[in-house]
Amino acid sequence: MTGLLDLYDVSIRFGGVQALLDVSLHVRTGEIVGLIGPNGAGKTTLFNCITGVLRPDTGRITYDGRDLAGVKTHRRARLGIARTFQNLQLFGRMTVLENVMVPIDAFSPRTPVGDAFRLPTARFEERKAEERARALLYFLDLLDVAELQAADLAVGMQRRLELARALASNPDLLLLDEPAAGLDARETAELADVLFRIREQFGVTMLLVDHDMALVMRTCDHIYVLDFGRIISEGPPEHVRDDPQVIQAYLGEVA
Amino acid sequence: MTADARVVRWTAVGVGIALGVLIPAFLSNFLRSLASDAAIAGLIVLSLVVLTGLVGQISFCQYSFAAIGAFTVGSLVAGHHWEFWLALLVGVCFAAAVGVLVAIPALRLSGLFLAILTIGVALFFDRFLLAPGTWDSFSGGTSSWRPGRPSFFGIGLRGEYAFYLFVFGILLVACLLVWNLRTGKTGRVLRAVRESEVAASTVGLNLTAWKLTAFGISAALAGLAGGLSAVRVGSASAGSYDFLHSVIIAAIATVVGVGAITSAPVGGMFLLFVPEIMRAWTPFSTQWFPFVTGILLIFQLVYAPDGAVVDSERRIMRRLHPPAPPPTADDTATPERVLARTST
Repeated sequence: MTGLLDLYDVSIRFGGVQALLDVSLHVRTGEIVGLIGPNGAGKTTLFNCITGVLRPDTGRITYDGRDLAGVKTHRRARLGIARTFQNLQLFGRMTVLENVMVPIDAFSPRTPVGDAFRLPTARFEERKAEERARALLYFLDLLDVAELQAADLAVGMQRRLELARALASNPDLLLLDEPAAGLDARETAELADVLFRIREQFGVTMLLVDHDMALVMRTCDHIYVLDFGRIISEGPPEHVRDDPQVIQAYLGEVA
Repeated sequence: MTADARVVRWTAVGVGIALGVLIPAFLSNFLRSLASDAAIAGLIVLSLVVLTGLVGQISFCQYSFAAIGAFTVGSLVAGHHWEFWLALLVGVCFAAAVGVLVAIPALRLSGLFLAILTIGVALFFDRFLLAPGTWDSFSGGTSSWRPGRPSFFGIGLRGEYAFYLFVFGILLVACLLVWNLRTGKTGRVLRAVRESEVAASTVGLNLTAWKLTAFGISAALAGLAGGLSAVRVGSASAGSYDFLHSVIIAAIATVVGVGAITSAPVGGMFLLFVPEIMRAWTPFSTQWFPFVTGILLIFQLVYAPDGAVVDSERRIMRRLHPPAPPPTADDTATPERVLARTST
């Protein structure tokens, strides 16, 4: 079975800690797949393996049927993998608009020479990038703050800005690392709507990591549960919710 | 930026350029040559505006890159009778290439460790290329090594004022090009690398390529300064490009601030004219100049961490153009707003 993203028996070890052990995970085009698990279960490590920040010790990761081994992080972005960060990684001392323009720049053919001499192509690309960035900000309701510094925004807006920036690279696969962290119940409910809208409008497939069970249960088509680096359960939301192993991992021993 | 602020900015730039052209016309030849040196030093500050201001990398070896430019231009023009412009082009490219080479080990470093690496590079240059024996053997001995001044479209640049206008013009063009870089994709991308390397690479930026680019551009500007300085002085002594010069220029770039293009001419003037003012009008000799710079550096780091020029520019702009009100508490995307905006 090959989907958009496939992990086969991925393992990684940090010193004495087995962070991931034989993790196999499959994401099919168009799905929103959830990945849940207690703190320290290895969720962010898994994301780092997928984006190429970390290299798994063993196992294979394929994207659209292509083996990602040895493919650098920025090349993976070009293949269509985008992500958001749990600990927000915005370009803080840049404006909201600039944050969203950077991924568009990354894909544009402009060179420093074209920039220095303001060649017509550079000016055209600049306008194009700005227009597209503004459209994305409009989509995520950030247009009003486009000229503010990213670091000055409230957390809820910063999370949306991370989404806008991730979408700016026109991804096929979006990895969301705890997008609801720091959001209140109302904001989390809105986030779920936004995620559905993103799937609808951009046709983006998503892999969602979050602690917020309500969000994950509501949005995901398929859920994997990770505990101590192992997948302990997988299936549709209702199956995972009732799995005694999952309940045990989250709540401890159940009498 | 509002229209008001834009008018003020370009008026200030226009007045600055006019003063830069006119004032030296009334100065002595000695002060004119200092002004030329100030414009040349301004190019070195500009090289730090690119490297430190945009991509956040530290360098204590900018004068080593300048030495490459000076050495190349000097030996090609004086020793091999090359056309000045061609020699300058070769010198700039050579400096850029060495800058990229230095950047390769620097790729994985930042902050303190990068600073130490560049100190190593500068000391290596001091001990090897700039050592008397090596320097003289390349340049054919200081006595025979006298690159003449070029002419600019048939206009001779032997006069101090003509030569000053020439280097001032080059500084202005370089500032304009860096301004364009900063406001375009290149500046945005480099600042993104500075702000978060992990985010920059996950949105598709090749960190290696962009850091090498920044080092290359920065070293090219420093090499340009060196090449001009070789013909300004008419010789090049190794002592003008040593490690201490790189440290002082880095300190001055910090004092004026690497976040603004204007810092380049201001920093250059600071380096050349403050010692002269001290010598002429105060009981202190120019040997106290590093001391004065150090004191200013401390005050700047405490009271204007982004640098004096950057800070004053910001104050002026804020007065002209008060910042937008901060986002209100009710900033969340209500479902209605999001749906209204996203429905097709």
